[in-house]
Amino acid sequence: MRRVIDGRNLLPPEPLELTLAALDQLTEGDDLLLLLNCRPAPLFGILRRHGYFWHERAQDDGSFEITIRKSTVGEP
Amino acid sequence: MHADLSFEQAPPISVPLRFFLSAPLFGVVAGALLCWWGADVPTSRWLGETLALTHLLVAGFMLQAMTGALFQFLPVAAGCNIARPLRVARVVHPMLLAAVLLLAFGLASNVAIALRSAAALFLFAVAIVVVAAGRALLRTPAQGATALALRLAVGGLAVTVLLGAALADGLAGQRSWPLADLTSIHVAWGLGGWALTLLAGVSYFVVPMFQLTPPYPPRLSRWLPLLLLAVLLAWSLQLVAPIPQQLVLVCGLALAGAFAAITLWLQQRRRRRIGDPVFWFFRFAMCCLLAAALLGIALAALPAAVDGPRVSWLLGVLLIPGVFVSVINGMLYKIVPFISWLELQRLASPGTPVPNVHEMLPGSAMRGQMGVHFLAVASLLTASIWPAAATLAGAAFAISSAWLGVNVSRAALRFVRARDRIGASEPSRQS
Repeated sequence: MRRVIDGRNLLPPEPLELTLAALDQLTEGDDLLLLLNCRPAPLFGILRRHGYFWHERAQDDGSFEITIRKSTVGEP
Repeated sequence: MHADLSFEQAPPISVPLRFFLSAPLFGVVAGALLCWWGADVPTSRWLGETLALTHLLVAGFMLQAMTGALFQFLPVAAGCNIARPLRVARVVHPMLLAAVLLLAFGLASNVAIALRSAAALFLFAVAIVVVAAGRALLRTPAQGATALALRLAVGGLAVTVLLGAALADGLAGQRSWPLADLTSIHVAWGLGGWALTLLAGVSYFVVPMFQLTPPYPPRLSRWLPLLLLAVLLAWSLQLVAPIPQQLVLVCGLALAGAFAAITLWLQQRRRRRIGDPVFWFFRFAMCCLLAAALLGIALAALPAAVDGPRVSWLLGVLLIPGVFVSVINGMLYKIVPFISWLELQRLASPGTPVPNVHEMLPGSAMRGQMGVHFLAVASLLTASIWPAAATLAGAAFAISSAWLGVNVSRAALRFVRARDRIGASEPSRQS
């Protein structure tokens, strides 16, 4: 199952707060898609420390797509 | 898996926090002294008391906050970090505190040994900051407009302090420098080359992010700091050759005004109707910057009025408490809760409750302080036509600064308590 958080019109750190709350409910096989206007550098350190994989993709309009999964499933 | 070292390299939170917590103290001292000294201060920019108050704000309040921001901002915005940040901060922070107190005392009381000691301390402390930050900024592969502005700002700080040390030397009676020319160049580098250039670089990054505006036009972002540098170099030539002063001044003010106008225009185009204190502090600051630029340009046509004490006071108030102190107020309200919350997230295990950003620093406390700050700036402006208002303005500024200090300290205290709670429940995760 895929959950999407569109943080493009949210004030920082709201997207980060929503993401961290969503990570608590992320189960194996699920992924979390983040849509953001900037690269969430602070998030990456937290993801690494807590054992998540992520993949980031810069969009033509300057926004970013970040896909996150639990590390037991493997890199997306 | 990606490697993202930028935030992993961020300095320990105690590094920027010590600067952020110290900054408001200088506002309290400056406000209290203005309240004490009263109506004489706005009558001349050359009075020792006026110079002391100005430096309590620019070399105390502003330099403390901007140095802390530099430590915090380099990894996030430029992908680089000051090496051994804790050691650097432990040396630089107390030196800057002592330097500004000595400078203010030396200027107000005309004590040569205090001026010379302050100059030596500033030179040493700022040299460490410039070398440490400059080294990081020259090594980073980042080539964006923010990284360029940060590089130029650090250079601007170095020039400002060198000129300031020469002026202190001259005032202490060591050498006979052309003090008036040196002062106007020192002011230009301090406000334009250091403060405005750093503000521009930081704004390129934080205004679109925290105020949900479109990005700054790329061409403007890149050229503004470079053109400011060209204007400052031209302005500095007055030391060795005659220059068209009014023209150079108008060019510099036009650049500052353009930056303010574009920031206001971007704020109008924000994607969501946000109106938090950070937004209003920025908006107020940009209105002050635009007003200062327009006033300066108008007065350039009337050179005789430019040196009038009322105009000097008006421009000084618009630029220092109006622009830079306002922006720093807003940025402290954004940065301190954010880095505190982030550090708690780093320390806590998934699922462990952590206070959210709004709990770290409630909006009502920020809004109340913001109102007093705006009142203080309005009173300071009033003192240009009615000097007796200086007493009220000083009191309002001291209260505003004290309130800022209390708000920021409370956020830091909430962080410490939450960190201790996490430490008690998860001792093995504390680093």
